[in-house]
Amino acid sequence: MFDFLIHGFDVALSPLNLGLALLGALLGTLFGALPGIGPINGIAILMPLAYTLGLPAESALILLAAIYTGAEYGGRMSSILLNVPGDAGAVMTTLDGHPLAKKGLAGPALGLSAVSSFVGATIAIIGLTLFAPLLAEVAVMFGPAEFFALMVFAFASMSVMMGKDPVKTAIGAVLGILIGTVGVDSSTGVLRYTFGLPELYDGIDFVVMIIGLFAISEILLMLEHANRKDGNDGLPPLGRVFVSLKEVLACKWTMGRSGLIGFIIGILPGTGASVGGAVAYTTEKRLSDKDNSFGTGNMRGLAAPEAANNASAVGSFVPMLTLGIPGSGTTAVLLGALMLYNITPGPMMFSERPEVAGGLIASLYIGNIVLLALNLPLAGVFARVLTIPRWVLVPGIAILAFVGVFQLHSNLAAIYLMLIIGVFGYLLRKLGFSLAPVILGYVLGGLMEQNLRRALSISGGDLGILWQSGISLGLWIAALALLLLPWLLPKLWQAKTSKA
Amino acid sequence: MTFAADRLLGIVLIGLAAFVAVQAIQLEVPFSYDPVGPRAFPLGLAILLTALASVLIVKPGTNEAWPGRQLSMKLLLVLATLLVYALLFTKLGFIITSLLAVASLSRIFGAPWGKALLTGGLMAVVSYFLFANALGISLPSGYWVEPFL
Repeated sequence: MFDFLIHGFDVALSPLNLGLALLGALLGTLFGALPGIGPINGIAILMPLAYTLGLPAESALILLAAIYTGAEYGGRMSSILLNVPGDAGAVMTTLDGHPLAKKGLAGPALGLSAVSSFVGATIAIIGLTLFAPLLAEVAVMFGPAEFFALMVFAFASMSVMMGKDPVKTAIGAVLGILIGTVGVDSSTGVLRYTFGLPELYDGIDFVVMIIGLFAISEILLMLEHANRKDGNDGLPPLGRVFVSLKEVLACKWTMGRSGLIGFIIGILPGTGASVGGAVAYTTEKRLSDKDNSFGTGNMRGLAAPEAANNASAVGSFVPMLTLGIPGSGTTAVLLGALMLYNITPGPMMFSERPEVAGGLIASLYIGNIVLLALNLPLAGVFARVLTIPRWVLVPGIAILAFVGVFQLHSNLAAIYLMLIIGVFGYLLRKLGFSLAPVILGYVLGGLMEQNLRRALSISGGDLGILWQSGISLGLWIAALALLLLPWLLPKLWQAKTSKA
Repeated sequence: MTFAADRLLGIVLIGLAAFVAVQAIQLEVPFSYDPVGPRAFPLGLAILLTALASVLIVKPGTNEAWPGRQLSMKLLLVLATLLVYALLFTKLGFIITSLLAVASLSRIFGAPWGKALLTGGLMAVVSYFLFANALGISLPSGYWVEPFL
């Protein structure tokens, strides 16, 4: 049963892939530590690099996954030291992390968060190893109708769980799906929404989309924070650099529990690190906050979201590798990256492309150890990254974006399109949209339509096939239940409390 | 302010949905065995988008604060810089356009002139050699620098 893992370690331990895991961990931590750049931006900016190097699919995935997990590590820097979360997933880290830094315990806080991240990620990687092949075996039974229902479920789960505004999340997903319909329709050859522009016949390119949406819009958004406080006005002193064993052991159950919570939440499509961190934090507050010190610099209050963050990041690989449905915006980007290699992740990947699935999982084990080894002694060095002024950072991102798009297409149309998408992304963010649903819609939209049309050509156009099987019916009901839950729950709650 | 923004967005989105639907209906579809065809999916999305946008108009959400006059000017400057960067990218070559773009962005993001120009020069040259020589990416060098390389 674990053949894929043994095979995977063979792949991941090759000198090239080992080197890439190291490089990715380092680059990811650096990019994650940059002020205002979360994991998804980091991957978007660095992704063209993977193609430039002409890597085979499994190596590219190993590099990108290492960047992803590295960025989750690096993201805690600005949360703890500056109280500025790099992305939504790091918000909970600021609650107790920053107060610790203000108490002069920044060093131990960084150390503890590295250890918690390691523990959380390790729990989740073991979970992934055990759980993913099982899920893949179930998923082999999925036909087009089941996949269509699954995607509907994924979007429903995302709308409810992600962000504060379900309507805007749903609109974002629809916009993303619509962007995905641009280009030639694969089964009839009809051109859709190309407006006679030959550049659009192949659709809106993935790299152009990702870089425009994340890197360019980030540049525009950073302008607003240009006058806000930067790393420049002084980092808090790190204090003693190492976290003591006693402090770590005091949090061991916190880490274990939070890692498990984070993993389970990470598996749900669309939820990602922000929800995992929040649920772990509130659970831990309820369980172990005896003296009401959560929020004032409690070590456990830091360990909980950090363990959960990284566990969810790994957990979100489960649906991506087994079902082809990404669990988060960042895994959606990774899924798109794999599709550029003509690999569609799904239940067959464990049997057909074991080097990709196994290699990735094995490299997560390796990367996780590398990250702990890098982050414990080098926290002070990485913290320096925070002091890079924006007037160096922003032009750097711009150059990477231009070179990344240009080297793939060697034409200016792609660069103009990137700029247009960047403005679009900026407007969406200003209007209170999160970009993750847009990218999820863009990546999944094409598959969703294909599966719908395949299902309906099997049934000869009869819509009934979409909910005929037990699995698809169950998924439809689950999706409906998720959508109704936010309205029903408060009412049930009220009924209960009024009775009591 | 926020109310107006979300309502306006809702109206724009309904306009977009209508456009998507009209375009889909006008598609000329050759005969095929696919019972759904390329029209149905965008049409369904347009209907869903209209429904969601209507909710937005009835119950607008919250937005971030919009940029003031000064910030808007800076935003336009950044966009103009990026656009000029793109326009001249192949004509003047990577090094010189990057120098100009980096210096200009640096300046907009608050660096003094001297530091901005220095950043531009360093970043342009270092990244050119990094990308072109170490990573083997073919970048436009610009016709005028060829003799110097």
